Amino acid sequence: MKIMNCPLNGPRNISEFVYGGQVKAMPDVNSVSDEAWANYVFYEQNDIGIVLEWWLHSPSSYWFIAERHNASDEIIRTYPADELFKERIDFTASEADA
Amino acid sequence: MKRVSNEHFGQWVNASKKVRFTFEGNEINGLAGDSVASALIANNQWLQSRSFKYHRPRGPLTLCGHDANTLVQTPTTPNLLADHLPARDHLSVSAQNYTGSLYFDVSRILDWFGRFLPVGFYYKAFFKPRGIWAYWEPIVRKAAGLGVSNLEVEAPYNDKAYCFCDIAVVGGGPAGLNAALHAANAGATVALIEQEPHLGGSLNYHAFGYETPRIASTEISVETSADRSTENSVGPSKTGDAASTTDARDAFSAISAQRDALIRAVEAHPNIRVLRSATCNAWFTDHYLPVLQGTRLIKLRAKQTILATGSSEQHVVFRNNDLPGVVMCSALDRLTRLYGVIPSAPVAVLAGNDHAYRTALSSHDGGANVQAIIDLRDGCDDPALSREVERRGITIYQRCAVLEAASRATGKVLSELIVHRLDDNGNASEKIATLDCGVLAMSAGFMPAYQLACQAGAVLGYDDETAQFQLSKLPAGMHLAGSVDSIFSLAAVEASGRNAARQAMKNLDAELTTDEDENTTCTERVNHPWPFVKHPKGREFVDFDEDLQIKDILNATRMGYRDIQLVKRFSTVGMGPSQGRHSALPTARLVAKATERSVNETGVTTARPPLTPEPLGLLAGRRFHPLRRTPLHNRHLHLGAQMMPAGAWQRPAFYGTPEQRDAAIQAEVAAVRTGVGIIDVSTLGGIELRGPDAAEFMNRLYTFGFAKQPIGKTRYAVLTNELGVVADDGVAARIDEDHYYVTATTSGVDRVYRDMLKWNAQWRLDVDIANVTSAFSAVNVAGPKSRDVLASLGCDINLDADEFPYLAYREATLAGIPTRMMRVGFVGELGYELHVPSPYIGVLWDRLMEAGSEFKIRAFGVEAQRLLRLEKGHIIVGQDTDGMTQPNEVSLRWAIAKNKPFFVGAKSVEILSKAPLERKLVGFELGATSPQPKEGHLVIRDGDIVGAVTSCEYSPTLNKIIGLAYVHPADSASGAEVVIRTDNAVHVHAHVADTPFYDPDNARQGL
Amino acid sequence: MSEQLNNVFESPLSGKVYEGAISIQDYTNKQRWGFRGKDAAAALRAEGWKLPKAPNQIITVPGDTLIMALSQREFWFLDPSTDAPIPSDVDQAISEGMYPLFCQSSHAWLVVSGDQKSEMMAKLCGVDLSPDAFSVGDVAQTQMALINCIVARHELDGSDVFTILVDQSYAQYALEALLDARAEFCRSS
Repeated sequence: MKIMNCPLNGPRNISEFVYGGQVKAMPDVNSVSDEAWANYVFYEQNDIGIVLEWWLHSPSSYWFIAERHNASDEIIRTYPADELFKERIDFTASEADA
Repeated sequence: MKRVSNEHFGQWVNASKKVRFTFEGNEINGLAGDSVASALIANNQWLQSRSFKYHRPRGPLTLCGHDANTLVQTPTTPNLLADHLPARDHLSVSAQNYTGSLYFDVSRILDWFGRFLPVGFYYKAFFKPRGIWAYWEPIVRKAAGLGVSNLEVEAPYNDKAYCFCDIAVVGGGPAGLNAALHAANAGATVALIEQEPHLGGSLNYHAFGYETPRIASTEISVETSADRSTENSVGPSKTGDAASTTDARDAFSAISAQRDALIRAVEAHPNIRVLRSATCNAWFTDHYLPVLQGTRLIKLRAKQTILATGSSEQHVVFRNNDLPGVVMCSALDRLTRLYGVIPSAPVAVLAGNDHAYRTALSSHDGGANVQAIIDLRDGCDDPALSREVERRGITIYQRCAVLEAASRATGKVLSELIVHRLDDNGNASEKIATLDCGVLAMSAGFMPAYQLACQAGAVLGYDDETAQFQLSKLPAGMHLAGSVDSIFSLAAVEASGRNAARQAMKNLDAELTTDEDENTTCTERVNHPWPFVKHPKGREFVDFDEDLQIKDILNATRMGYRDIQLVKRFSTVGMGPSQGRHSALPTARLVAKATERSVNETGVTTARPPLTPEPLGLLAGRRFHPLRRTPLHNRHLHLGAQMMPAGAWQRPAFYGTPEQRDAAIQAEVAAVRTGVGIIDVSTLGGIELRGPDAAEFMNRLYTFGFAKQPIGKTRYAVLTNELGVVADDGVAARIDEDHYYVTATTSGVDRVYRDMLKWNAQWRLDVDIANVTSAFSAVNVAGPKSRDVLASLGCDINLDADEFPYLAYREATLAGIPTRMMRVGFVGELGYELHVPSPYIGVLWDRLMEAGSEFKIRAFGVEAQRLLRLEKGHIIVGQDTDGMTQPNEVSLRWAIAKNKPFFVGAKSVEILSKAPLERKLVGFELGATSPQPKEGHLVIRDGDIVGAVTSCEYSPTLNKIIGLAYVHPADSASGAEVVIRTDNAVHVHAHVADTPFYDPDNARQGL
Repeated sequence: MSEQLNNVFESPLSGKVYEGAISIQDYTNKQRWGFRGKDAAAALRAEGWKLPKAPNQIITVPGDTLIMALSQREFWFLDPSTDAPIPSDVDQAISEGMYPLFCQSSHAWLVVSGDQKSEMMAKLCGVDLSPDAFSVGDVAQTQMALINCIVARHELDGSDVFTILVDQSYAQYALEALLDARAEFCRSS
């Protein structure tokens, strides 16, 4: 069984983790086209290379980010989500709603 | 056969301790330490099984569990390997796969009709006319099956355990022992895995004493006294006749002494855990090794792996090479040296390398009557060996082969060899001799035990010039030692073990080891490049498991299967229990030659786990099935509840015996509708949101507006995911400005909680999210008399409808316990959900039952609740919704706020709302006597499927069948007729009805 | 009233004790509390509490209270010598940046002692809990027998023990798994 290094709990069996999908930037919901939104929701990066992924350490309910090569399955690096998400994110009402 | 027992022969058996068991009903006498196979051979019982396809007689081939020729069964267990099954008193063993008896197998006739069972016949026969397979299948399965499972046997206690170490060493032979000891001395923790019950590997049976440097240094053949009376001796020689044999004996004694010292050091080392009689059955990522040992599956987790797995000796492919009595050289070595069983009948050796000469000498030392060596080559690489062989009067037939082995009298055991010369092309030419022979030991070479390495992604290369193998592209942290790395001479093998340990230590910590690698150069050539002797009548077996001959492999290539993977699948070569250990190389050679490629280009088939067949019971282990109980579990049982699973939870379905089911449910429903009922809803998910951004977070997750939700009020909360699909629902209570308590569905709460954490890992709002599902337990007290029960119990807040109205949230002390109270209407009556810290729900339940007794309070279960909520038309997310359900389809548009900047599913819901609906969830009614649709039954419109029933029950309150179903949007208006296909294709015509079916004005829940 | 309520705190394991070469004791009815939040560590230190230096560590402070850090901002307090408080005494007041936890109610607490407890746990848990790899003061948030758990190694009354915390709804299941794994070590008793 594969081992993954949890930034909080250290190396653990992969069975302790839950995959959370690729890290994707949400488009601005006020300006995004329907098609672009559908692409955001349904498509993931599928070419060979290093992908950014969400992983959860289930026993501690801890989400973090993993850089993984999707061909070799090598986990290159794991780190806390706040290295990537540093600022509070806010949503504003669209002009139509305002 | 005779038995000897001394320092060198019969090392594993105790001559003074007899064991008795039965084989095929006959009593067999063996010695303590015997395997069943060795004891049988000692009793001249070479015939031990029948082959899979042709039911040919078979006996042991490797004597180390590497072939399927010894598959036997005990009354409890089929498919045991007789050469790995320890002989013990009272054991009852029988052979497998015969019709009639092992000695006279009626199905043997299949062998004569073999030409009608060509390669690939599975794919060509039995499929025309259509349906004929149903007739043939049981017949074929019976004829080709292996052991018989005893279904009466109780499952043994199997379990699993982790074992952690720095370095796993697979194989306890000279390489593995040296690797383990060297690594342990350097400070690593080591697990050493050995398949046999004793450590030592080839040191226990192989005649390393006849290795070249030792023999050469003693100038063996010069001065010989030609004393040939070794038959009765108990060592390599008798009292110092020849300097040579004396020196050889000294060499053997020195090797044994060294081996014993090595094993003692390993066993005594505090850093080494030795696992004997254990099979490392696979290599998985990050050095995770499943090790089978007895009734336990050890999950070994190492940081580095050293494979000292050795190599599999290869057979020579000639006619009737599967006769009992034809064995690998290493098998004869094991028979004599481990078990002390010395054949009385004449022994011959078929040599493709010098190792075979050592077997001849070793057996001769043990007292066997070794008559001849038939050498496929022009001669022995090491002249000293052949001189010693000749000195002992053993005939050497150079550049010769066995064209055919035969069994004159019985047909079941070897008795004669036909020896032919080989021509320049390696084909049999003129006949040289006919030899009387009881045992033929053969060695065409050694193939690395490559399986674990190749499972890990390594590549097995083959040098067509030298016929040597090389494993390359090992994964990080994997190292090879010994003959798996094509190193064969003892000193080099031992050095390679230490080198592997050095590499592993270096990987663990570069500081740990600084000493230099030792030289492991090994020039010995052990593989004969073309060990095939084709016979006009065939029966030269390439694969013993699957009864495949040379022509079968060639035919496969002629039919166009050039790729080795396709040859395997078409012919089934390598698919038997021995998984190609002996068939992979000859197949590769045959395919390479037939397709005019090199063996290296042809390659071998992919190695996949498991290495050996593994009992399913070991994989199952303790069969953990996590079950969740609410704190009221035992109280439900005392009330006679029938428990049902709800995910991992155990919940009361109803209270009463199974026979009382319908009456019990109806009585429970009636209690809620007319009096008061109580249900355990502790399984309901609970999430606590605290902090300045709690309301903002609610607003982003759920569809409704929560920013302006008043304190002390609850709101229905629908959660849509990013696809706009209804993912969960619950009730959100605002406890304070910065404090929400939100319920979630029993099955959905874990996912909802995770999603919340993930969203906030991105948004970074100032809110604490806690899953309090287990911290709080809850009951729902429902029914017109529920308020009276609470009042009677003593409640420190005003329960009047004006003060504590429908959908309000209050905190109160009930029976002395701080309680979160919610007025909810899930079952459509006046009702209170009471949430308290879990350890106090028990006493609250007791007090409620006491206080409720004067109101005839009744516990109700999940079945009654389902009916009650259906009468109200309330959907259950996950039952009445699926992975595609959008809010509009389930009439939840009202629960979506229109004027807020964002919620998770907003954009998708907006997009979906622009398109016309494709289906809609509606209520439907049927007469009480109609066939009752079930969940999943289809809704049909103009012959097409347009939807399905999601819930359906008979309502005694309404005296009709009611349900929810997805229908075509055109049929969604009240009164429309829809067709539902029920069991046995009976179509019923239901009428779409407004929901709620019961109390349409929702007057009762607001009382 | 208070005394009566104290008696109504119900552990799903009823405070059972299994003595033997490996002993298992239910401590669910002993006191525990906790806090989480960005200001939790600072606030607790200001109150005079000594805290573990890193996440997944446990320390014993004077008075025998055990303090466990599950992250930089989450701390559990376990008091093996005091019974669970009556519910009305539990302060759940929120101060911004520091939120009380519900560990008294959410988890069952088992204490496992005995020389071979690491070997027993190796049958249930994929983390190496042997003394060399997991010493006194270490905490692992992991899984045993397919359920989530927290395992901590600490000293209790002078002996080296494991504290195991599992979701209370799995308490009976976890106990049965532990007893099954324990059986081979307790044959003679």
